[in-house]
Amino acid sequence: MWVWFFKLGSPKWFYELSGKWLPWLVAAMVIFMTIGLVWGLLFLPPDYQQGFTSRILIVHVAVAGTSLAFFPLMFVAGTITLVWRMKLADMVAKNAAILGAWFSFITLATGSLWGSVMWGTWWEWTDSRLVSMLFQLFLLLGVISLRSALEDSDAAAKACALLSIVGCINVVIIKYSVEWWNTLHQVSSPVTTDTSSPNGPEFWIATLIMIVAVYLFLTVSLILSTRNEILERERKAQWVKDLVLKAK
Amino acid sequence: MTGKQTTTSAAFLATLKRDLLIAFKKKNDIVNPFMFFIIVVSLFPIGISPESDRLTEIAAGVIWISVLLASMLSMDNLYRSDFEDGSLEQLLLSPHPLFFLVLAKNISHWLVSGLPVVLVSPLLAYMLALPEEAYGTLFLSLLLGTPIMSLVGSIAVALTVGLGSRGLILAVITLPMSVPVLIFGTLAVQSTLNSQSPLGYLSLMLVMLSVSVSLAPLASAAALRISVN
Repeated sequence: MWVWFFKLGSPKWFYELSGKWLPWLVAAMVIFMTIGLVWGLLFLPPDYQQGFTSRILIVHVAVAGTSLAFFPLMFVAGTITLVWRMKLADMVAKNAAILGAWFSFITLATGSLWGSVMWGTWWEWTDSRLVSMLFQLFLLLGVISLRSALEDSDAAAKACALLSIVGCINVVIIKYSVEWWNTLHQVSSPVTTDTSSPNGPEFWIATLIMIVAVYLFLTVSLILSTRNEILERERKAQWVKDLVLKAK
Repeated sequence: MTGKQTTTSAAFLATLKRDLLIAFKKKNDIVNPFMFFIIVVSLFPIGISPESDRLTEIAAGVIWISVLLASMLSMDNLYRSDFEDGSLEQLLLSPHPLFFLVLAKNISHWLVSGLPVVLVSPLLAYMLALPEEAYGTLFLSLLLGTPIMSLVGSIAVALTVGLGSRGLILAVITLPMSVPVLIFGTLAVQSTLNSQSPLGYLSLMLVMLSVSVSLAPLASAAALRISVN
């Protein structure tokens, strides 16, 4: 039963397998992304309260939901790195940190865009989601900068694995304490995201399609960057040399 | 230790004593972060406003944030000199659980850097026009919060101990993690000012402290084993 798990430890095996999956994943991503973006951004009927601004939410909700997956992902990858010393887990974790930082940033950016219209402000400290997303971004940047500061790649792998595990626990504590802080500080609540009922199902179907699309995008980017990482780190291995020579 | 077997508690006490001794011999490492703390706090009234009403509002936050910044400075030296002179390796090689040795180092660090800050906090609270009834809460919140900072910060210090030029990476890693402590520390003071009981927040900080005492040294120990090869 564990064979497949230990096979994952072999970068070559992953490289070949992911090569087979990639076309299908990319195709699915393109389909979902096109449907979601074209329908969501161009054809979706305006929200009864928010007007056309609600279309930003299609992208925002999908990206925000996906960006919550990064710390758990890095937690798992970090545990695998520390327990089983699997090189592949670290390659995934390295790129997950960078992608996670981008996703968090895009979440904040699209959220600000929406907020600038709906709340009349680009930034609102009283909304706990904004604040905890900001600190998730900071924690991810901390992991990235630790990786770039450590030169020895083996030590960097373990150090970042440990920091990701600590960071994942921390991000949960931060989320709840910020929520607590807000419920006590919040004077007025500008947030009403409950747009589901009067709008009919289109809004949620479009959002759902976009969530699937963004998750596929995450998977594809992660696989692509991990494959890159494999080629770079295994450049002295024979199979990589063969591969490069064949490509020429 | 002439071939005699030492108990873990003896090793714990020996580490604690040794670290305190070193700290008192190198007074600069204690005094400078402490001075930094006091200077930062006294810059706020100059930068923001000397009016006592305004100061009352920000006093707890100012003191708490200055504590966090000062702890970054003092933390830097937690394992570095031991790493440089090789005694950290000896610590890792010792037969006793690293958990307790790391805990001893953290406690000694808190005694020389955290405790002075806690003790001086009522004076600074007075200077920042915090009403008298909140002194006790601020004091208690710092008493519970500063050891959490030492314990959690120790993980990041242990991870970066091998770096030649560490720069600000320690702060970049640790400061975001201190958000919960900052929130509950300042909320406790705020609620006293609103004449509510701060006990809820203080007991939450106590929970965080107990969790940190039992888990953070584990992570620090693992981090030290990663950094020292």
